[in-house]
Amino acid sequence: MRPVDKKGESAVYQRVVLKNASPYHYMKVCLVLEDESTRLSAVDFKQFIITGLKSLFGEVGAALNFDLLKYNEETLSAILRVYSRGLVKLWSSLTLLGSYQNQACAFRVLQVSPFLLALTGNSRELQLD
Amino acid sequence: MSVDLDQTPRSLLVCDRSSFLDEKNRISSQVEQLHFNYKVSVLLPECSSAPSHLDSVLNSFSSFYLIRKLPIHELLDKHFLEMAVYQGSAYGVSYRTRIDEDNCVALMPNGRLCLTLDKDSFQLLGFEGKLSRFTHRTNSRYVVSVDLTDSSMAPGGRGYLRLLTGLRSRLHLKCDFLLSHHPGGGASLQPLLSHYDWSEHRPEISTHALTHLSCPAQLTSDLQSCDPHSFLEWLGAVDGDISSENSPSSFLSSFVCPEPKTTLSQALSISVCGLLLPQDVHRLIQEIRCYLEQPLLESWVSLTVHGFVDSPVSWGGSEHGVLRGGENFYTLLMFHDHTYHLHLATGAHDICPP
Amino acid sequence: MVRVKSRYLLCEVNVSDRSRLLLLDDRTIAVAVKAVVARTHGDYGAALCSVGFSVKYLNAHTGIVFLRLPKRCYRLLWSALPFITSVEARGQKIPCFLNCLHVGGTIRTCQKFLIRYNTQQLHRMLPKCKNEEEKQQVRQAILNCSLTRGKNEALEDELGSEEDEGE
Repeated sequence: MRPVDKKGESAVYQRVVLKNASPYHYMKVCLVLEDESTRLSAVDFKQFIITGLKSLFGEVGAALNFDLLKYNEETLSAILRVYSRGLVKLWSSLTLLGSYQNQACAFRVLQVSPFLLALTGNSRELQLD
Repeated sequence: MSVDLDQTPRSLLVCDRSSFLDEKNRISSQVEQLHFNYKVSVLLPECSSAPSHLDSVLNSFSSFYLIRKLPIHELLDKHFLEMAVYQGSAYGVSYRTRIDEDNCVALMPNGRLCLTLDKDSFQLLGFEGKLSRFTHRTNSRYVVSVDLTDSSMAPGGRGYLRLLTGLRSRLHLKCDFLLSHHPGGGASLQPLLSHYDWSEHRPEISTHALTHLSCPAQLTSDLQSCDPHSFLEWLGAVDGDISSENSPSSFLSSFVCPEPKTTLSQALSISVCGLLLPQDVHRLIQEIRCYLEQPLLESWVSLTVHGFVDSPVSWGGSEHGVLRGGENFYTLLMFHDHTYHLHLATGAHDICPP
Repeated sequence: MVRVKSRYLLCEVNVSDRSRLLLLDDRTIAVAVKAVVARTHGDYGAALCSVGFSVKYLNAHTGIVFLRLPKRCYRLLWSALPFITSVEARGQKIPCFLNCLHVGGTIRTCQKFLIRYNTQQLHRMLPKCKNEEEKQQVRQAILNCSLTRGKNEALEDELGSEEDEGE
């Protein structure tokens, strides 16, 4: 019976459209190293990205806040969270990171989204064979 | 140039709040208009194992078919049109093609065939189309959208022949294709399947039990929802198995569950992957509503549906592109008293969801 | 018509020992600014600094510098200036800092500002003169220079050096 009673008040329809309101952006990245046996801990990984930021954007860039939400040591892949304002800076410094401890490396940016949820359901990961 | 560095890419999130009991609620149309669903995930709080009737709905999701190297002109095959397109609804989307670099094809349940092509292919095809919203200066794309149920597209008609010769003799478009049919299933698709290398696939179900999960308290206490972005972030963290137990001074991550928070002693996260039909999703929603009628510890359930990243359309017939993430998904947060919150999100330059 | 837009920063170089100001030249200031931009804004800042940046004018007596920056990124480069703590000139390290007085779109507006600024400074400092004789000296020096006689630059120099005496 309760739902019926509530019908009057709960029938209020509300629609809100939020544009560019996302405070963060999320990136799924993967580090490819020349020597595949190299291991990086999560701290090393974040430190490495910060070095990249520092070389491209200097001390101001190195102070950019970003979070390493998830890190997989086996695959060297990670999910990063960054304030939307810093996305371009972070992304560009990832692109220009070319060497880790004198070996060639590259960051692959797999997916970027303003929603963390979107990273968990990427249909490009669907394997059917 | 330095100004651009701070600019944020556009994002779009629509938050609807209504009740299932409201006659004017559009939930079913919103669910049905997202044609190509890749993943459905359900979060059941204070639940250790899936209730049997929910389980049976999940297991009864229709299977889908993968056809390898399907020449696209076969979709215009007369038998196929009669068996699958004119009757019921056929869902088809090209597989392992990337909409930002390859040619993509989608067959929509309303009988529309949608091709997004690069400029060369489009000119080779020689069929009427329009410029894509996602055209770039150096990389222009075109969308060809035809209604196969239209009289001019009936087998033998002028438009039909033109498209057929274009696809068959000029543009030899071939791709792996995912196909599903409602309500006929595999039987309706037989004309197509019989000629090619195909395999049947069942949606893949995975269940994940969570314990001691911190959760935004607003969900449980009253209907004052928390900020949609932080709610979706939290849900994403739960879905992606990301720890939210961080101290604010932590070097690695300062991500925490939105305040105020409570702790759930257990929760169950179920996800289904594959080419899922909106009808099945709809049945699942109805089942969850029944589940919520029971007296429960927690009075909400959330359901997230992700669309295909590379699908040429998102909601209805509106064009979809990838750009950075290609997200098109919705999250339905259902409550005990039949109210719901619906969050719909699409990519950067897509048209606003319905 | 389209022109390349720039911003001119009018800065004064503050040093503890004013005599060492004379060691400075355009190039040392440019090197110092470039170095500090590269440190605070990295390769990106250094690249922005490589085109359209120059030291237009330096008055080694008064320590007034005109910096020309591209308009699109002058804020970014400007933000690095407070981090200059020393300038290396002729093998010596001169501890100093840059104080930005004015930002203008053309050299002309900056010059106008500088004249006004120096006059203000003069008015502020005149009452501080220790005795009447000193005051008289300053007045005389001002009267000696007129706009018709020399270039504006000369006037600035004059005004600037009065400032020194005022101290």
